Amino acid sequence: MLRLPRQWRTRLSARFVAVSLGLLLAVQLAGFTAIRANIDQAARANLADELQRGAVVWDDMLAHQAQQIGLAGRMAARDYGFQSTLFLQDADEETVASALETLVGRMDAEISAFVAIDGSVRGIIAGEADEAEVRALAAAMAAGKGERRVQVLGGRPYHLVSAEILAPVRRGWLLIGYPIDDALLQRLTALAGLHVAIVAPVGGQRQVVLASMPLADETRRALALGHEAGRHAGTQELLVDGDAVLVRREALGQTEAVLMRSVAEAVAPYRNLQWVLAAITALGVLVFGIGTGLSARRVTTPLRSLARGAERLGRGDYDQPMAHQSREDEIGELARAFDHMRVGIAEREAQVHELAYFDKLTGLPNRASFSASVQSAIDDCDITRCAIVMLNLNRFKPVNDALGYRLGDRLLKAVAGRLLEQVMRDGDQVCRLGSDEFALMLPESGEEQALATAQRVARAFELPLRLDDQTVDLSAAFGIACWPLHAEDADHLLSRAEIAMHEAKRRTELAMVYESAMDPDSSTTLSLLSELKRAIERDELRLFLQPKFALDGRMLGAEALVRWQHPVRGMVPPLAFIPFAEKTGFVRQLTTWIFDDAARQWPAMAAAGLHRVSVNLSARDLMDLGLPERLDLILAQRGVPATAFCLEITESAIMDDPARALNTLNALKARGFKLSIDDFGEGYTSLQHLRHLPVDELKVDGIFVKKMDQVPQDENVVRSVVDLAHNLGLSVVAEGVENAEVWRRLAAMGCDEAQGFFMCRPLPAAELGAFAALWAAERHLRVPVPGPEAVPARRPAAAPESTSA
Amino acid sequence: MRAHCLAAVLAAAATAHAARVDVQVQDAAGNPLAGAVAYLDSAAAKMAARTRPGVEIEQKGKQFAPAVTVVPVGSQIHFPNRDKVRHHVFSFSKAKTFELKLYAGTPANPVPFEQPGVVVLGCNIHDNMVAWVLVVETPWYGQTNALGQLNLPDVPAGSYSLQVWHADLPPGTPPVTQPLVVTADGARAVVRLAGAR
Repeated sequence: MLRLPRQWRTRLSARFVAVSLGLLLAVQLAGFTAIRANIDQAARANLADELQRGAVVWDDMLAHQAQQIGLAGRMAARDYGFQSTLFLQDADEETVASALETLVGRMDAEISAFVAIDGSVRGIIAGEADEAEVRALAAAMAAGKGERRVQVLGGRPYHLVSAEILAPVRRGWLLIGYPIDDALLQRLTALAGLHVAIVAPVGGQRQVVLASMPLADETRRALALGHEAGRHAGTQELLVDGDAVLVRREALGQTEAVLMRSVAEAVAPYRNLQWVLAAITALGVLVFGIGTGLSARRVTTPLRSLARGAERLGRGDYDQPMAHQSREDEIGELARAFDHMRVGIAEREAQVHELAYFDKLTGLPNRASFSASVQSAIDDCDITRCAIVMLNLNRFKPVNDALGYRLGDRLLKAVAGRLLEQVMRDGDQVCRLGSDEFALMLPESGEEQALATAQRVARAFELPLRLDDQTVDLSAAFGIACWPLHAEDADHLLSRAEIAMHEAKRRTELAMVYESAMDPDSSTTLSLLSELKRAIERDELRLFLQPKFALDGRMLGAEALVRWQHPVRGMVPPLAFIPFAEKTGFVRQLTTWIFDDAARQWPAMAAAGLHRVSVNLSARDLMDLGLPERLDLILAQRGVPATAFCLEITESAIMDDPARALNTLNALKARGFKLSIDDFGEGYTSLQHLRHLPVDELKVDGIFVKKMDQVPQDENVVRSVVDLAHNLGLSVVAEGVENAEVWRRLAAMGCDEAQGFFMCRPLPAAELGAFAALWAAERHLRVPVPGPEAVPARRPAAAPESTSA
Repeated sequence: MRAHCLAAVLAAAATAHAARVDVQVQDAAGNPLAGAVAYLDSAAAKMAARTRPGVEIEQKGKQFAPAVTVVPVGSQIHFPNRDKVRHHVFSFSKAKTFELKLYAGTPANPVPFEQPGVVVLGCNIHDNMVAWVLVVETPWYGQTNALGQLNLPDVPAGSYSLQVWHADLPPGTPPVTQPLVVTADGARAVVRLAGAR
């Protein structure tokens, strides 16, 4: 199979040409094959006929020769003078032979013999043949009657005829032999168009003794062998000198004439015809190919031009109209459709571009456009630095709500106008990022210029804005980030400017320049996370316990807290990593670690007199459906009952996803954990909701407890919570107890437990035992208790806190 | 015919007991063969043989007549030409080789036949003219009639060799010979010529 280059194979015109030529060639080939087969068949049949006719001619020629020889022989035999020579002188063989020689000379014969009536040979002319052989042959033929033979004598074929000598009755026989020579064969060739070879036994082996054409040795052998193969009748096909030749054998006694006709010669006229056909086919292919190619080009050339047009559309070049639109045919239709598409796409793209890159309200570039501009400024080799000033209008939402969206929109347009007025330099750009956020790009500016611009804009905002009959004061918070100082690309630069802006807003500053400390996602944070992970692996975390007391002075339990003993930074305070752990989700590992370590150390705690240890659960812990099982596993491993634990959950953690939190809480409750709501009063837990939570305890937020001796409202809040809890059947824990007065007041309120620096700071777990011993001895000195006699006897771990009914 | 009779008389005189010999000749198929020549050879017969005078083979209508002539040794035969065309009579036979070159009328001298045997006569001009002369050494000879029979009267008793020949036998074929004893009562012989057509 012909492999065209790929480009050709994929070309439509090439396919047209290939398909039509392929079909043409297939048809021609089929015809050619059929014709060829027919010609061969017909030629062979013809050849067989020709050979048959040739055989008839050959027989006729031989018969004719025999007749002539016989006639001549009879004439000679009747000649009285000749007869006188034969019979008058009694048996003078030499004279007879000389008479025969004369006769042979007259007749152009070569062999002659006189056989007397008694069968004896009385005279002989053997020519080039063997005399004895001729003698025997003459005697043999005389014994028959009127016989003729073709026989090879002395290597040459002879046609021999025996004629009676009548004088006047038979007195003997005259044998006459004519050579079968090349002339005879050539005559047959001329008459019948055949070649002929004479095959006869010579010295016991069959050989070709004469042929009308030169033959190769191999062919001679093949022709001689044919006889032995027993193929006398009919025709046979042989290879003669490489050509197929049809042969027919005509036997004459031991001798046979092999008639031959070359198949190639017979087919030759037809072959010429085939060549003519082939030439016509070739011409047809050429004409067809050119014709198809040209007509295909008429289609494919415009198609290619349309394809190029479509490529231009793909590249976004909509200016050039499609070619071939004036054509009347399908191509023209296609071209017009393409052009229609071109115009449509161009229009829509302009619209899309407008929508995609510009803010419809103010006409300023939008965030995407601005981001691209910043990036191209960064990518511009001529620009060495670039500052972004991002601003957010203060109090836009209340203004918008109060004045309505229509005026809000006008306000935003006015802001855009003032911003544009303040941007003087070429290359500076103003954009609206979103609702009330705008940004300025200041190429080749640093922090100072950016701050100056921010202040200039702020001053421009000081002029009150009149909208209809309303006067609106404008103010904004500005955040600044600079390239390459703060970020390497546009997106980071923008987000850092935004962080700075929020920071400014948070601090109610006019403008802030970005610092990495503002950013929880900065690289510092990431390294903290990996360090924290290592902290667990390297056992750098320490369990601290802050004891909890009943307000009669007994130490009941403790809250488990974690500290980080950093190898370089020393003891890291919880606020430095707990909020971060909560934000990243790492808090779950921390919770697990604390729970596990508390369980591990529980026996020591129990020995120190603790009834229960509290562990904080984060919002993420509550959302984790696997938490109860994880805790089960630890309890099982450490051999600690669930009742030894109180789990503290903040209000906000529950409120994130109350339904799911409730599930987890119920599961934990079912296991026997005591549940406590931490920092109660800080959040928005509805009472309705609180009623359904499976909790046992409320823990009043320290901010209310801390100053309750000084702030009456705080004391009221604490009292309300204590009352509420007791009314709901819950116990109350107050944290943040820092002086004796607070303790006293809590005791007066009937608060169940207290926790705070006043009694004890968080202690390393190992120190709890010592503290407990000390406390037991000195507690009446440390806290205002009713007296040792009022302290109930130490009870077992189970539920010491008697909640007020 | 007179010579014939005389011979017969002489023969009869030489032998006191003479009898008739009946010969029946058949062809290969056993059918009677007419025109066959039969004769009896013996030493005595040879002694008894006498020439036959006045024998004539005429040429008339481009044919020899008669076609077969039997003569004892020494007889002379005349060849009168009764046609208007000339003839050239010849014989290449061993028993008598001769030629009478182109002539008309009767040649002056008759041709003597001195040796026994079959002499084939031809005419050099007319290929289809053929005649046979059987030269015998016996007085007892004759040709079979249409029934293939030949009666030889007055044959003295004794031992003979019966020779039978026919012109239709292949050329060069000698007469068929069979011994025959003739008693006072004569003898009978049936001869089949297997070679005759």
